[in-house]
Amino acid sequence: MPSPNQRRRTWRWFDYKKPIPVHWAIALGVACWAIFFAIWEISVPLGWVTPLLVPPPQKVLGALWILLAERDFLSDIGVSIYRVVVSFAAASLVAVPLGIAMGAFRSVEAFFNPFVSAWRYLPAPSFIPILLMWFGTGDMPKLALLFIGVVWFLATLVMDHTRSVRTELIETALTLGGNRKQILWTVVVPAVMPNVVIAMRQMLAVSWTYLVIAEIVASSNGIGAMMMRAKRFLHTDEIIAGILVIGVLGLLFDYLFRFAHRLLFPYLEEHGR
Amino acid sequence: MSGAVKLSARGISKSFPVAGGKFIQAVRDVDFDVHENEFCVLLGPSGCGKSTVLRMIAGLEDPTGGRMELDGHEILRPDRERGMVFQSYTSFDWLTVQKNVEYGMKLNGVPSAERRDRADKFIDLVKLTKFRNAYPKQLSGGMKQRVAIARTLANEPSLLLMDEPFGALDAETRWNMQELMISIMETTGTTVVMVTHDIEEALFLADRIVFISRHPGTVLQDMTTDFKGGERVRRKEDVLTVPGYAEMERDIMKLMREQGSEEEQEA
Repeated sequence: MPSPNQRRRTWRWFDYKKPIPVHWAIALGVACWAIFFAIWEISVPLGWVTPLLVPPPQKVLGALWILLAERDFLSDIGVSIYRVVVSFAAASLVAVPLGIAMGAFRSVEAFFNPFVSAWRYLPAPSFIPILLMWFGTGDMPKLALLFIGVVWFLATLVMDHTRSVRTELIETALTLGGNRKQILWTVVVPAVMPNVVIAMRQMLAVSWTYLVIAEIVASSNGIGAMMMRAKRFLHTDEIIAGILVIGVLGLLFDYLFRFAHRLLFPYLEEHGR
Repeated sequence: MSGAVKLSARGISKSFPVAGGKFIQAVRDVDFDVHENEFCVLLGPSGCGKSTVLRMIAGLEDPTGGRMELDGHEILRPDRERGMVFQSYTSFDWLTVQKNVEYGMKLNGVPSAERRDRADKFIDLVKLTKFRNAYPKQLSGGMKQRVAIARTLANEPSLLLMDEPFGALDAETRWNMQELMISIMETTGTTVVMVTHDIEEALFLADRIVFISRHPGTVLQDMTTDFKGGERVRRKEDVLTVPGYAEMERDIMKLMREQGSEEEQEA
């Protein structure tokens, strides 16, 4: 006969903050998507929506296949990736050193912060008309929009992370004989780098958002431009295929940053190396 | 074991500005000496300004009055002569134990071969030989403090400063670390100033105990632990039975009680 204290508590669906079995967690995540696609699939035959406005999933995948195979959609995707990568690299080259300097030195912060903070509150898309007048219709206005959409926020995030580098680390280096320059490069920068990469990962998602805005408003190529062309011909399946591709690309870049984080900072793992 | 005067503090005061243009006096007219090879403990109730005194010795804070000298030179700014171990863990996450211990020497341009030799010596001394290539995230709290101690000592400071270095450790690890400090003192003959509010820790480790009063902090008593007869006791439990230990502990507890707790003072 089992003693009373060996009796296992029954697992319940709704227990506050209690972990659930892993296979259940996976199953639940998949179930949510399955329900989503099921509703999408049956909504046309049941007459909830017009097939013209909401094409069923297989039609979207078919459209995506035709776009890729026959309509050179890959080069649109390539253009979009190029715009995000180039503008994001430029924004990072400015924002990361600026943010570190602002976080490390109060004088630099006092000089730049009122300026940077003000720019953060100017919505980047409001610059589109003037950017078009300045730079015409090539890649430049899109790159500029993505740059100003990212650079101020990234600088502020990096500044905050740099500010929270623990004072004891800096003071330890001071009592070991370090000068200001040595401490910047051997304590502040390595201490803040993991958080800089996380901030970059977050801002890259914002960069994708601005890219689509720029391409929808004024562009002849890129994923957003393809979607606007499709709208003109009422090709809703192609529009949704575009949304799908942007989502997948976003996920892919996010994964790349996670991977880079693990690769660059293996010392943050608590177990094993 | 007391040789020449190593550190002298004369009339040290410190006040901080607070809201409303007022100043709060944290430390007032602190005088004491620390001698060569001495283990000096700054003891006192919490919030008495003993950590502020230690930070001024390190050069991390400027006194608003008085003068502090190490080896006859006035202390003006932090430098490698006074290496500090903090209560919070300060090992650099991105460096292995070996590189952490070499860090100070690297800052000061010690050639790499000598760096490695000296790091090896101090890693052995703090018994981390097996963890030489581990990263701090893989170490326990006590091990991280041993890294900090080895890193500071390997840099060959004139004075080792410790600010409640074992305060965050559990009881067993704490006395292991205290015994480790005794063996380090015997091996290296370094001079130490340590801040603590733990009376047992002070009695076990100290050659000299400078008792700081509450608010504003000033030296209430400057005592030597003569009951140990100039010997360092190696094991924590053995110090309890040394004649004179209980009396001194009682005297210090009385001092502590007279100073009262912060709550009583404010009531």
